[in-house]
Amino acid sequence: MRRLQSRLGLVLLVAAFGASAYWVFTRSQPLIHPRPVTIYFAHWQIERGPPDGINAAITRYEELNPRVHVVQLQIPGASIYPQWMRSNLTGGTGADLMEWGAWLPGQKDIPARYFAPLTAELAKPNPYNVGTSQEKIPWQDTFHDKLLAPKRDSPDPGQIYAVNISECTLRLFCNVDLMKKILGEVVVPQNFDDLRKILARVKEYSRETGSPIAGLAGSRDTTRAVAETVFTAPLIGVNQRLDDGGTLYLYNRQMLAAYLGGRWSFSEPAVTAGLQLVREATNSMKPGFIQLRRDDAMIEFLRGQALFFFYGTWDATSLRRLASFKIQPMKLMPATPDDPEVGKYVVGLGGEGIGETAVSMYLNKASRHPAEALDFLKFLTSVPGNQLFTDASLWLPAVNGVVVPEEIRNFRDYQEGLSFGQAPYDMIGTEVSMGWDRNFYHLIGENGSAEKFAAAMDADMPAAILMDLKAELRATLVLVKPQDPIIVGWSRLSGERSKIRRAESEAAQTMSEGLALQMKLALETTKGM
Amino acid sequence: MYPARNIFLLLLVGPLLAARAAAPVDLERAAEALVNSRPQDVLRQLRRDSGSRSERLIWAAGRMGAQPATDGNLREAETVLTELAQGQDQIAAQAAYLRARIYQLHLNEPDFARAAELYEALAQRQPQSHWAQLGLVKLGMLKLYMLPDSTDLKADRLAPAEAVLSRISEPLLRRDLDLQIGQAGIVLHQPQARFLPHLIAADRVSGITGTAREDLIVQIGVLSERAGDWVRAREYFERYLAEYPTNVRAFTIREKLAAANRRLAKGGGA
Repeated sequence: MRRLQSRLGLVLLVAAFGASAYWVFTRSQPLIHPRPVTIYFAHWQIERGPPDGINAAITRYEELNPRVHVVQLQIPGASIYPQWMRSNLTGGTGADLMEWGAWLPGQKDIPARYFAPLTAELAKPNPYNVGTSQEKIPWQDTFHDKLLAPKRDSPDPGQIYAVNISECTLRLFCNVDLMKKILGEVVVPQNFDDLRKILARVKEYSRETGSPIAGLAGSRDTTRAVAETVFTAPLIGVNQRLDDGGTLYLYNRQMLAAYLGGRWSFSEPAVTAGLQLVREATNSMKPGFIQLRRDDAMIEFLRGQALFFFYGTWDATSLRRLASFKIQPMKLMPATPDDPEVGKYVVGLGGEGIGETAVSMYLNKASRHPAEALDFLKFLTSVPGNQLFTDASLWLPAVNGVVVPEEIRNFRDYQEGLSFGQAPYDMIGTEVSMGWDRNFYHLIGENGSAEKFAAAMDADMPAAILMDLKAELRATLVLVKPQDPIIVGWSRLSGERSKIRRAESEAAQTMSEGLALQMKLALETTKGM
Repeated sequence: MYPARNIFLLLLVGPLLAARAAAPVDLERAAEALVNSRPQDVLRQLRRDSGSRSERLIWAAGRMGAQPATDGNLREAETVLTELAQGQDQIAAQAAYLRARIYQLHLNEPDFARAAELYEALAQRQPQSHWAQLGLVKLGMLKLYMLPDSTDLKADRLAPAEAVLSRISEPLLRRDLDLQIGQAGIVLHQPQARFLPHLIAADRVSGITGTAREDLIVQIGVLSERAGDWVRAREYFERYLAEYPTNVRAFTIREKLAAANRRLAKGGGA
């Protein structure tokens, strides 16, 4: 009997261990949820600042909404986030709210497939703005730029799929101590030629003193930002020439179609002049920079081995918290019509616009709690919610009415001038983008030149552009086709709302279909290229 | 003993089976599934060959939207739609419209000519039905891009679609085709005087949203400026700045507005 009892004890112990192990390995969640609803908020902004800002907003939101728990998922960007996002969305385990960006390679189809449009909600005031300056204003109009990027990046020109929680711009972060050491004073470049002179002086200083100091901290990521900024000044005239529709704005599909139609090339003088500016800027980076990433460039700058670090204001908080020297953000000014090298191609001073709101958050179509997820998004982008985010992150707010902290106020000192939005000659599609990276070595270094790079790009572009245009067409059709059953659904439901939604869906589908037909026409007319 | 138990089981289960067989289909739930992009749920709820005409229409729409979107599955939907299209009611019109959509958009290899025939047949049979009118919008677009009446590049590429436009009476659908004709005029390099009136007509009807609206206002202003119509250019530049004062294009528009005002002050109004 005693033997049996001791065995029973052992069996119970093993069973208890087995049950515990099962629980630990299969259910990593508490047994009791004090809040019945949990929503997941996934993003890649793991720099210093945003996680603190989002946490501050979550804490307040949970105080206001005792039923809801918000979990912030911080997923490293660049290589991990896109795969993580796609695999979870495909498997039906995507977070309720997810960040997405149009530039993520190979991810253009994501919004159309997996995210829900927010257009109807955006037309109504945000309830969390009651008692603020934004009360009674439609949610969409409370954003500083009225959601420029979500509108531009929407797969469907009539719909808006995202809201932004911050605002970013690109700035030249200057090591003030080092600049004084090299130049004897702080010189703020007023145009590209001023910068050219500063970079030349840094090179001289480095040679004279034997200290390995670069003008610009270098990496593949930051080079993209530098290129996009300096490249465009001589291209404004090209953009104006291509703007048949008079929109003062060129979309990717228009650039692709115009190239296929033989209306611009990398070898034409104005485009090559833009490439020359990219070459000048990147020649001030240390050799081998193209193998390095953003963090390497940041470390180079923080170690005092580069005078400038050029990247987004999203890195400003990290730089401030980590640097042992004074940092002054400056504008990377474009080349002007009096530029000694490329001035004859510059038709006017380029502008930055008013800065774009950024960090676009999307609502997962398959969210188990769409109402709560949307509600949290409203709080985060309300005046009080965005104020909490801004104060704790020191990132610019996306929403009007939020007080901008003194430390970051000059980020909003934007350069006014001509602009064609992105006019993204280098980023017009995944294949073109890869071609740019693949051929970049033709542009830089002693053996590189703008002409060599342009020739290499023009050799690769027809095939790459055809592939990108086909991909763009596929992404548009992914959106257009499912609208037919959706329209049938709205037509079979009663009520005024269904009637309105049906009409909106029909209009949006027709617009997207028109774009698809235009792309198809461009492909048909360039068959055999 | 055993027969008694079987009878007891039958009494227990029978009503349940009967209730399931006779359970009315919740059409609203099925339509909700369609609008929520869950066509597979529709296929679970409804059957292809039974039920009302509404049920079968929703089933066919679910079949069109569900994966895998093979031509076989689409032909199955088409069979049901062809049968439904025989009537004279709204369901018949909607079924005929969806049938044309299969040929235009959903088949692996679209058949634009067949789609155009089906849109035309529907418009002949039930011209005032919403679905026939919507079909005319799609027919107009096919004529603009895929089925031009002439292959001559110098021919008027907008005229065939304009002929279709004249048959559309619903304002919102007229607006949509006006916008498409306007945009096609730009892409097809037609004379501005031919397509600008369509853009203006589209703008006069409200309801265009997102970037499409913003682009349209800029477009009309800039194209009017190019045509020397300074009054209209000023009107649209002012509208743009009132609605989008902080947009990236605002600087250029402000410069253009100043230029338009200067021209008008000199008496250069069109």
